[in-house]
This record gives sequence, structure tokens and C-alpha cells, in this order.
Amino acid sequence: MTALKYLAALGAALLLHLIGARLHPDLPQAIDWFLPVLVLLALSGSSFAGIAGGIAAGLLQDGLTGGLYGLHGFADTLVGYATARLAQRLVIQRAVGVFAIASFASALQQVILIALSLFLLPQASVPEPFWVVVRALSTGLVGMLIYSGSDRFRKAAESHRKQRLSRLRMDAPS
Amino acid sequence: MDEKRAGWFLLVTLVAQLALLGLQVPGAGGKGTYLGVLGLRVIGPFARGITGASRTIGDSTENLRLQRRLVEENRRLRRDLEELRLRLLQFENIRGEAARLAAALRYAPPPIGNLRAADVVYLDFSSWLTTLVIYAGGRPVQVDQVVLAPNGLVGRVVEIAAPYAKVQLLTDRSASVGALIVRTRRQGVLRGAGSGTLDLEYIPVQADVRPGDRVLTAGIDGIFPRGIPIGTVVSVKERGQLFHEVRVAPAVDLGTLDQVYLLDWKPVPKDLEESRADDRP
Repeated sequence: MTALKYLAALGAALLLHLIGARLHPDLPQAIDWFLPVLVLLALSGSSFAGIAGGIAAGLLQDGLTGGLYGLHGFADTLVGYATARLAQRLVIQRAVGVFAIASFASALQQVILIALSLFLLPQASVPEPFWVVVRALSTGLVGMLIYSGSDRFRKAAESHRKQRLSRLRMDAPS
Repeated sequence: MDEKRAGWFLLVTLVAQLALLGLQVPGAGGKGTYLGVLGLRVIGPFARGITGASRTIGDSTENLRLQRRLVEENRRLRRDLEELRLRLLQFENIRGEAARLAAALRYAPPPIGNLRAADVVYLDFSSWLTTLVIYAGGRPVQVDQVVLAPNGLVGRVVEIAAPYAKVQLLTDRSASVGALIVRTRRQGVLRGAGSGTLDLEYIPVQADVRPGDRVLTAGIDGIFPRGIPIGTVVSVKERGQLFHEVRVAPAVDLGTLDQVYLLDWKPVPKDLEESRADDRP
């Protein structure tokens, strides 16, 4: 995923987040639209991409939340790096694998956020465990759906390209 | 080699971000940082666009749905307006009386500030890191400016990226306000309890407090003026031997906020500001 594509995906995630917040007050805490985008970037296996993508996604998320600016930035940087390192060691070719990694990434992000908040803020609050689980599962699901969708699109584009190539070969004068 | 460099890159970025977080900690309830303001400035127009679009769509469908009821509602509102005008006349009369009595007693009441409307462009009150972003238009907003809704107190401005401002909601765990129980005039400190409720603290066990008691701002914290409705006591429990555990439901339903009011009011004179800078709630 190129940087431009990633930024466009973050823009789409921001759009979905804002629309979700208008539709239902619980949606922002139930679904994290930014993390699946980061996870899919980090799954390419590049640590640099994971770190840079984590900073961008996290700081964008920080603009939408209260508390200290940079909490998500820090958490997502670590999550992006950890996911990239994981992707270097595992071969993930199935959507279920993406679900597991994205859910793990969401859980890790929330643990880091809670730990940082407790460490830095005197009156820190923590999310309810129910919402932590819901968020992790929904992040996994969104990641899996995006992965499956893009995989299907890629395969369809590939077969279309092959068909065109074979047609061109047939049409070419021998 | 690349992984080694990535490790260093990670370390540097994490340390830099920790430093950024550390810099904010002393002023967690204060002015905000340059990056925070930048983030708000980037996201503000996005949020305003989405809110505007959804409002337009919502308004047009609502108008179609409610068209038949509009005439009746208009009639009822006119009746209410007449009634309120009459009550206003009565209150004007009482205010004049109170002013005359105050003059006789040489009592100087605190000045009442002006209100101006601001649109809500983003509201997340259910997450653990709650946020409210407002669009204040061309007129300047100040940090610590009081934010109200028709039913009562909403919070205070904590970060400004003109024309947008981030508001710390009253229900935020790091928010607190001096409060008093109307029936008994007992004062305490009200803190956000997360999950949309508030805790009224430092109410001694000897104090008389019951569910249903109304709670107002006490005007003792140097930020919020006295007499703004905060909420209603919903439960009272004895916690330890010294204080009651008082739970308060906010007067404002945050889920219905689409416009708030900024109070132009300066409670503490400028020469006293420095002495209260470290005591902000």
C-alpha cells in the first residue's frame, strides 16, 4: 500500500468514524475504523511503514478524542511496529488470520492506552471490559472484510487482465 | 540492518511522543499543545462538513414527516411564548425588587454574562476519552470559557483552534466543578464519574441530602459562575465514616446536543489569575 493510498484510506476511516458518531453515540467506542487500515498496511511486513503509519493514524485519532494529545499516536506506533514484526514471522493468507491479527492489534492498542492513561493522568478512566472486547472483535471483523474485499477485487482484476492479454494474442497477426 | 534501523526509528519516535505526552501532563486541563491544536484544526472542518450534511438530510426528512404537525406546534409555541412573556414581566418586577433590596443592603451581585450560540460539530460522550468539538464562528473563544445548554452546564473549553474549540465535558473523569445542593445550600465538589454520571464529593454524612435534590454550580472554583443547573441527585450511599457517596444525573442530555452556548463571563479578575493557575479543576 503506497503512502498516498494509505492516507486516502485514513481519510475514508475518518469519514466513517464521523458518520458513525452522528448515527449512534456508541459507535465510536464500538468500532475503530483507523486500526484495520493500519493493520493492513503493517501486514506488508515493513517495520518503517508500520511505525510511520501508526504515527499518522494515532495522531489523527487523537484529534477526535479527549485526554492527552499523543496517546493514540504512541499506542498506534507500537501496534504498527508489532504487527509488522508479526507479519515478518507469519504467513497470513487467509481472512481468518487477518481477523486474529487485527483483533490482537486492537486489544494491544487498548492495553497500551489504558496503561499510559493510568501512568500519566491522575484522574484516569478506563473503558469497560465489554467495550474492549466489542472493539477488538469489530476491528478484526472490519480488517477481515477489507482484506477479503480487496483480495477478491485483486483476483477479479487479475483474471480480467489475463483475459484481455489472451484476446490480444489471439487478435495479433501471426 | 534494516530492522536495526527500524528499531532505532521506533525508539526515537516513541521517546519523542512520550516527551510530547509528558509536556502536556501539567496542563492536562489547560491550554493544549501546538500539535493538539493542529489536530483539531485538521479534523474540525471534516467534522463540520459531515455534521452539516447529516443535519441537512435529517432536517429535510424531518420536515416532510412533521409538516402536518407544524401548524399545531406553532399554535402551541405561540401560547407558550405568551405565557413566558407574562412570566418574564413578573421576573422583571422581582429583579427590580431584588436590585432595590441589594442596593439597600449594599450587596454587589456578580455580573451576568452574555450567551452566544456555537454549533456542535463532533460529540463523543460514550467513549472513555470523551470529546466535544464546537464551531464558534468568527468571534474569539477563550480557554476555560463556560459551555452551556438550555438545560444546564455542559463543560468548559480546553483547546482552541479558531474557529473550532474542544470542550471538556462535565462527565469527563478529569472534570470537576464546585457545586451546591439547592435545598440545603450544602457545598461539595462534583466530578465526572465516566459512563455519563457525576459524583458529588465531600458531602459529610451529617449533611441532609436525598435523591431528587437539585444541584447547581456553587461559583467557588473560579471558572463556573454560581447558579447554573448541573443535575439531580439520583442515589445517596454512606461511604466510610466521613462522606456520603452521592451520584448525580446530569441535567443536560448529551445525546441530544446539536448546539451549545458559550458564556462570555470573566469570573476572576486578571490580577488574581496567576494565583489560581495551579488550582484548576
